[in-house]
Amino acid sequence: MSAGRPDATGTPRPAGYYHLARAVLYREYLLFVRYPANAIGGLVISVFFFGLLFYGGRAIAGQALTDSIEGIIVGYFLWSLSVGAYSSISNDIGSEVQWGTLERHVMSPFGFAPVVLLKGVAKIVRSFLTSAVLLAVMLVITGTGLELNFVTTVVVATLSIVSVLGLGLAAGGVTVLYKQIGNWLNLLQFGFIVLISAPAFDLGWLRWLPLAQGSALLQRTMIDGVRLWEFPPAELAVLLAVAVGYFAAGYAVFQYATRRARRLGVLGDY
Amino acid sequence: MTARENAGAASVTDAVTAFSEEGTADSSDAAVGFDRDRSMERTAAVTRPASSETAATDDRDIAISVTGLSKRFGEGDAAVTAVDDVSVDIETGSIVGLLGPNGAGKTTLIKSILGMVVPDAGTVRIRGIDLEERPRAAYSAVDAMLEGARNDYWRLTVRENLRYFATISGVDPNSVRDRHDRLLAQLDLEAKADVPVRDLSRGMKQKVSLASVLAGGAEVVFLDEPTLGLDVESSRTLQRELRRLAAEEDLTVVLSSHDMDVVETVCDRVLIMSDGAIVADDTVDALLSDTDRHCVRITSADIDAALVSRLRRRFDAIEADRRDPGHRIEVVTDSDGLYDLLAMLRDADVTLERVRTVEPDLEDVFVDLTAGDQGDRGDR
Repeated sequence: MSAGRPDATGTPRPAGYYHLARAVLYREYLLFVRYPANAIGGLVISVFFFGLLFYGGRAIAGQALTDSIEGIIVGYFLWSLSVGAYSSISNDIGSEVQWGTLERHVMSPFGFAPVVLLKGVAKIVRSFLTSAVLLAVMLVITGTGLELNFVTTVVVATLSIVSVLGLGLAAGGVTVLYKQIGNWLNLLQFGFIVLISAPAFDLGWLRWLPLAQGSALLQRTMIDGVRLWEFPPAELAVLLAVAVGYFAAGYAVFQYATRRARRLGVLGDY
Repeated sequence: MTARENAGAASVTDAVTAFSEEGTADSSDAAVGFDRDRSMERTAAVTRPASSETAATDDRDIAISVTGLSKRFGEGDAAVTAVDDVSVDIETGSIVGLLGPNGAGKTTLIKSILGMVVPDAGTVRIRGIDLEERPRAAYSAVDAMLEGARNDYWRLTVRENLRYFATISGVDPNSVRDRHDRLLAQLDLEAKADVPVRDLSRGMKQKVSLASVLAGGAEVVFLDEPTLGLDVESSRTLQRELRRLAAEEDLTVVLSSHDMDVVETVCDRVLIMSDGAIVADDTVDALLSDTDRHCVRITSADIDAALVSRLRRRFDAIEADRRDPGHRIEVVTDSDGLYDLLAMLRDADVTLERVRTVEPDLEDVFVDLTAGDQGDRGDR
């Protein structure tokens, strides 16, 4: 890593990955606390739509909805997490391209990969914070109780949305190449609803798609109280493979897209 | 800097005198004009013969070495050569101006050197490190401010930006706090250090952008139009700071600008690009003195319309203003033409009432060298 050069008033010390992590996460933190309206606005909209779903559904479907409310809450919680992770990373990349800050990260002696990974972690943490508040509000509104085993819930939910983070990276990469397509890719998040609902049916090959397996395991954790170590290893292996696989694929698409953008001379050329 | 292959259009001064940093590192200079004088001291010393390949292998400390860099966009007939076989060495601690009309390839050259555009051919070495082979190591020494980019985060404060980008460029921000304080003071941003960048004026945003590029102590910086949007005072401050950093800290700067005054004032050397190639590479003084081009303005009551008409037939570049009585003429010509002009005036019994020579500036040289390339393509 760079040692910089001696300064007239001190000697620059090289920054390590710790400094990098601190810088990236601190920036996310600053934006979160300095512009709470962004986070709160998203939360209010989420609560509004859940209220619509809950009260409207109860008016129409009555007891049927009440019987399946736990599954709906868990699904909505996971959807909120997924949308947060996906749109924040893909929109972030789009914005960085416009601002010209993407190039500066590409030129980082750390390499672009660690920066993107840390940004992903920051987005997941942020998504968890807002989605946890949403979960609490949903439980209060519906008067429902869930098994909230912290470790199992966090591990399963995190692995579930890591796959979506991969999709977000891929979408960000496509945005680097084709600037106008970014907004359309946001529509993909509605597809997450289908994937999250998949466990309601026979999973089959669907388990290899993002979110589906995670949604199934999260339902069992939060509704049936199944702990992490109580899941069959094969089930967890699928969850892990899907998370790693889609994240790696998403990162590869992102790398390919930025490389191609550099060949075409359109990187940052908004 | 020495262009190794493309300096054919402008000769390079071959005076090589010993260069000493001593006496050039006084940061208290108040006037940019004084810095300009000092820059001439430097340029005379760092100039090297362009033709010799050995120039690249002597004991100069080369910060950036570009060899055979080419980039084409598009295919077939529609293909455009943005950078055409550019080879150039840039010495440590020098400030090099990159000039060219829109579409000459300046931005593509800068982005190719930085790896933001992948060139079709050629190699780039930064501090001796091949950018393609070891990009991370090469990037540890370089940062850039690209034209039209915000370059920093507007929702963070000025100081937060400096700390963030210092870290991104591989430096622990706590270790360069003094440097940041000094940058903020010198760019007159101290009072705004804790203000989000979005709340600053355009000129201040530009200064923050520059400060964030310098925040990590990069050895080599590329600045594309750094004075765009700055008022005169801010522009001078920035120029002074660049000269100070080059003199005191051996900062190497490649600066692209449409502002000829900035380039003339701050740059040790100037590269002029046209049609993707470097058509001139020399010191500002050498470029100005090398042109056999003289502009004289002569006023006399004896210059009548008939004489003006004869002069117009002899000289292409002539302007004539009617005076009462006589005319004021302005002629741009070479040495032979100047003798002819005076002879014609003498033959016509003209008494010279007022004679002024008009010194060519960098803009004149630039226009001469790039004529025909102006505005024929979009900016690349």
